[in-house]
Amino acid sequence: MRSPPVFPPRRTLSAALLALALLAALGAAPPATAQARADTLAAVHLLQRATFGVRQADVAALLREGRAAWLERQLSPDGIPNDGLAARLAAHPAAGMSVAELYRAFPPAQPARLVAELAGARLQRAVYGERQLEEVMTDFWFNHFNVFAGKAAVRWLVADYERTAIRPHVFGRFEELLRATARHPAMLLYLDNARSVAIDSSAPAYRRRQPRPEGPRRTPGLNENYGRELLELHTLGVDGGYTQQDVIEVARAFTGWTVARPGRDAGAGPGFVFRPELHDRGAKTVLGRALPAGRGEQDGLDVLHLLATHPATARHLARKLVQRFVADEPRPRLEAELVRVFLASDGGLREVTRTLFSAPEFHAAENRGAKLKTPFELVASALRATDAEVGDARGVLQTLRTLGQVPYAASAPTGYPATSEEWTNGGAMLARMNFALALAAGRLPGVRLPPLQAPGATPEARVHALARRVLPAAPTAELERRVLADVANAPGGASDVRALGLLLGSPEFQKK
Amino acid sequence: MISRRLFFKQGAVALLALGLPPASLAQALRTPRSAAARRKTLVFIFQRGAVDGLNMVIPFGEAAYYRQRRSIAVPAPRRGDAEGMLDLDGFFGMHPALRPLAELYARRELAVIHAVGSPDATRSHFEAQDYLESATPGRRSTRDGWLNRVLQQTPCAECRGRTLADPAAHAADHARGQAGAGLRGVALGEALPLSLRGAHPALALADVQRFGVGGGRAAGLEDAFARLYRTERGDAVHAAADEAFAAIEILRRADPARYQPRAGVEYPPGEFGQALRQIAQLIKADVGVEIAFADLGGWDTHVAQGGAQGQLARRLGALARGIRALHDDLGARMDDVVVLTGSEFGRTLAENGSGGTDHGHANCMLALGGAVAGGRVLGEWPGLEREQLYEGRDLAVTTDFRDVFAEVAARHLGAQRLDGVFPGHPSEPRRWRGLLR
Repeated sequence: MRSPPVFPPRRTLSAALLALALLAALGAAPPATAQARADTLAAVHLLQRATFGVRQADVAALLREGRAAWLERQLSPDGIPNDGLAARLAAHPAAGMSVAELYRAFPPAQPARLVAELAGARLQRAVYGERQLEEVMTDFWFNHFNVFAGKAAVRWLVADYERTAIRPHVFGRFEELLRATARHPAMLLYLDNARSVAIDSSAPAYRRRQPRPEGPRRTPGLNENYGRELLELHTLGVDGGYTQQDVIEVARAFTGWTVARPGRDAGAGPGFVFRPELHDRGAKTVLGRALPAGRGEQDGLDVLHLLATHPATARHLARKLVQRFVADEPRPRLEAELVRVFLASDGGLREVTRTLFSAPEFHAAENRGAKLKTPFELVASALRATDAEVGDARGVLQTLRTLGQVPYAASAPTGYPATSEEWTNGGAMLARMNFALALAAGRLPGVRLPPLQAPGATPEARVHALARRVLPAAPTAELERRVLADVANAPGGASDVRALGLLLGSPEFQKK
Repeated sequence: MISRRLFFKQGAVALLALGLPPASLAQALRTPRSAAARRKTLVFIFQRGAVDGLNMVIPFGEAAYYRQRRSIAVPAPRRGDAEGMLDLDGFFGMHPALRPLAELYARRELAVIHAVGSPDATRSHFEAQDYLESATPGRRSTRDGWLNRVLQQTPCAECRGRTLADPAAHAADHARGQAGAGLRGVALGEALPLSLRGAHPALALADVQRFGVGGGRAAGLEDAFARLYRTERGDAVHAAADEAFAAIEILRRADPARYQPRAGVEYPPGEFGQALRQIAQLIKADVGVEIAFADLGGWDTHVAQGGAQGQLARRLGALARGIRALHDDLGARMDDVVVLTGSEFGRTLAENGSGGTDHGHANCMLALGGAVAGGRVLGEWPGLEREQLYEGRDLAVTTDFRDVFAEVAARHLGAQRLDGVFPGHPSEPRRWRGLLR
């Protein structure tokens, strides 16, 4: 189920390891051609960006397989066995439950427990899943189409949203992804479209269902929230060339897209339903395109098609993908190539993702180690690098809360930021160091580290082995020297714990 | 592209790399008590998410207000109604949940600025938030915040003889640790908001008491990490860590946790109350805070915002109780403190179909403190009839929010070159609203 312990007990130290340690201690590197070194660096860079963290063994495996073959395999995740994760997720059943099952298992009285369960499952997937690229892209697209578990009934819907609206489409067509999010009750409730009805709609059933506040009767009507975020965040981007009138027209087009009332609407269940009596039947004009009167649900579908195939959408998505996976600053040539591939493939996200992770601009030396890991990436990568065993995830979630990035807890429709700048400040750096120290010392509740005994007879060799473990291929001579200066006088076991803590909290490990 | 902050920080870190140890650095940063005595402080509270200013300070004298808000209007003040709207001047009233602040208005310690906002038309939260924080509406390329630029443009007791003619050099001096730096600008929370990002050091603090490394478990961890982060190829990450280590030292000596709230003062539960309580501790501990920043969210009331009671009322209640607790806790120190609130834009005059309001335009701000010429609603009121509204639907802007910021920056904090704080916006005193005495 899990890989062998990272740091073998001293008695199992092989002669080969001793020899390696000796070589390292003498400052000699194993013979390697420049090409081999370049391949290793490229492999590590790909793993840094396309997975939730590099494990030492992953680098060797990827080098054997080749970058292109690895990427192809990850782009078709159904073919990758994932049994280890499945076994772990059995301990987190909430993430696999239907909405109705969740509502029974997690009654409204304990809202926090459900979100913690789901966030725990997300963490398990990130740390132990073999379909790493699928996990990373699910995280990206969920964040792009963010919903907040703390709003309304979204907490019971968010697992289904991720499972049915996001994950199956991350290597599919963008329009299908967009449509799946638009119709999902989590989105309909989060951005209030479920309550947006035609201004002149006569819908007595709907009115009766409104909670009656004190004071005068409330008239149902248009709600612009989804229409605006659909244009600004999901598709065209804030400078995508739409107007306030477009926002209103789009909101009108989506009137009637709402959430089914169990037992009252056909096919009941908390699913999507189009209710014609709430729809604005008038003609509309969106981005200069006329939508004739009286076409009901087709209005919304036409708007989604128009937006999904719009060049501004392609540009906006390319910018966001590059910002998350390549560099904080724009990369115009790569973005132009992504736009071209997106439009040529009819919004094919497998094609776009392949281009993103194989383009020469992705591998440019200036990108390596240049992005700050987000808190979630930091935590997941540290757990992966140390082969940590996460049982009860609540201790890790507490760390993520301190660092400010708990899954499903981003309240704004923009989701969590992806640029280094927004995660860099003094307090956050200290919180990262404290997490590193707690993890290394086995003080993180619910997390167990394999027996920590770095191979090597000398402190130099042990620090070197640990550095290789958490920072494969990075040039760490100076870092090792500084760590060594600190731990040299501590007794063996204590010094390994301290060295690991310093390495995981080092500036080098904060970068990817 | 290299950020300005990074550029200056590299110089700073290079100096550190020459061997200036953190302990002596912190020694140099220690603020003398005498200098702190008259230090001016701004506490900025960001109502992130666009508060409905028309239900915060309510123009109850406008018939259109009641026509357009059939279910969410707050009933006009009535004589003898202790639970209702609080009449300010016969035309405006405060939401009943703001009672703790209305009392300060009556004591002339609190002023309202209404119909204030951005000249930019955007109704996007994130864009408008960035514009408010950068104070460069319409320009998205700005990478630093107005509060950081205020620090760059403000002389401080520690800058002995250093001229402000070159604000970059001023910021670099602080970044090099030559003068009190780390705690001049502090945000309470996990992340440093754009308002405080920039060339001048500023710090995000989630919890003053637990600001440190290793929790005292093992010796020398802070020094060990300080050595790891002290390198000649320093970048923003290294610089942030350096600031943190210097701040740890200052906080260790000042021990703000000693300052517990004054008897009878109760901060509201939750992060916002905690943030204000800690801001009060930092101010009382004289660690050199000139700008403190706190966020309070939950204002995006598209659905069921309620009227005199309900969702928005509860949020406003937390805001008012928090600000009032800060005020009462600081006591006489409020003479040197201004508390200012702001939000990225207002909300539609008309309620929407869900008993809420959608994104609008102008809003209101509150200013509180000994220096504030309170007891007045400032600004020009544009009216709420259809032809008076912005784009036929929202409260129009008659005061540029930068002119409110500028008055506080110049007259309270002593910023010297406003064109450096508000590039492209010459904020002349004649455009100020007379917020301060």
